[in-house]
Amino acid sequence: MTRWYEDIEINSTLELGSHQFELKEIIEFNKQYDNQYFHTDPELAKHSHFKGIIASGWHTACVGQRKMVDALFAEEERLLSQGKQPGVSGPSPGINKMTFKTPVRPKDTVSYQLTITSKRIANSLPGWGLLFLQLDAINQRDEIVYQADIVGISKRRDFKPTLKQRFGIWAMKIPLVKRLMKR
Amino acid sequence: MTTNPITKDYSHFEDLHVGQVIDLGKTKLSKKMIIDFASEFDPFPFHLDEEAANASLLGGLCASGWHTGALSLKMLIENFPSKLASAGGVGFTNLKWKKPVMVNDTIGGTVTISELRRTSSNLHWGIITLEFDVCNQNGEQVMAMTLKNLVDVRNPSAPLKEQQI
Repeated sequence: MTRWYEDIEINSTLELGSHQFELKEIIEFNKQYDNQYFHTDPELAKHSHFKGIIASGWHTACVGQRKMVDALFAEEERLLSQGKQPGVSGPSPGINKMTFKTPVRPKDTVSYQLTITSKRIANSLPGWGLLFLQLDAINQRDEIVYQADIVGISKRRDFKPTLKQRFGIWAMKIPLVKRLMKR
Repeated sequence: MTTNPITKDYSHFEDLHVGQVIDLGKTKLSKKMIIDFASEFDPFPFHLDEEAANASLLGGLCASGWHTGALSLKMLIENFPSKLASAGGVGFTNLKWKKPVMVNDTIGGTVTISELRRTSSNLHWGIITLEFDVCNQNGEQVMAMTLKNLVDVRNPSAPLKEQQI
C-alpha cells in the first residue's frame, strides 16, 4: 500500500480496475511462459475440454499484480497532490493460497478488487508491518476468475528502532557491511 | 479411453508416480528480461531502476516474484517428460519468495510430484500436486510453492484405488 502501516484499515476494499484480455496478448504470454496447446493455439484448443483457447492463470494473476501496482501509484500521486507524505510498500513475501475458478477467454473483461483482511507488525523485519490481502478477480458475468490470499508489507510510520536496531540500520549503510551481509 | 488426438502420447495420470522428480534446467535472468517483465506486470521501482533498487529492502535490481514464478512454470512445461496431458491448473498454496533473484542470477531446481489423486466427482481427471523448489546458482532457495493441476486419466473406467480417492 502507499499508506503507512498505521493508516491501513482492516476490511477496507480497493477497486483496482479491469482489463480486457485480447487473443494476441494471451498467445504472447503463453508462448513465453505457459506453452500448452489450449493456451497458445485457438484451433488445437478446441480439442481440450475448455473447447477453446484460454488465458494462463498465471497471466491473469500477473495482470492483477499490474492493476495493484497502478492503483498504489495513483494513490501515491493523490496523496502527494494533497501535500501528504505517502507510505512505502515493499516486496511481497508470498501468497498463502491462490485458487483458479473460471478460465479467461479472449475478450473477457476481468475486474480486480483488493481487500485488507488483517495486519500485524513484522517481527523479523524491524520497521515494517505485514498485510494480509485478498484479491478477487471477477469476469463480466460476475463469475470468480481467481481468488488469492496475498501477503504484503508496508512501512511503519511510528516505528522507533531500539539502540541495537539503530546500529544495525546504520551499519547496513556502509557498502562493505551491506555486501558482507548479503553473502 | 482418451480421445484427445493432441495429448494421446503425453504423460497421463497413469504414467506418473509420487516421488517423481523433474529437473527444471537452468535460466539466467538478464537485466533486460527483468526490466521487460516488470515494466509490463510489476512496475515497482525496485524491479525497474538500479538506484531505487539499491536503496530498497532488496538491496539491488531483482526480478519480480511473478517473473520467477512464470519462468519456473515455463521450465516445468519444457522439461516435463513427454509433456503433461494437463487439463488446467487448480491453484497453488504456500508460495514463498525466499530470496530476491538478482540481475544475472541463474535459476534452476526441481519439481517433485507429492500426491496423485483421483476423484469420484470426475473420472476423467486426476489431481497432481507438484512441489516447486527453485534455487539460484549458489543453491539457495529463491521460491517454493505447492501447485495443483488437473491431468487427464487415460482409462477413466478403471476402478479408483482407495489411496487415490
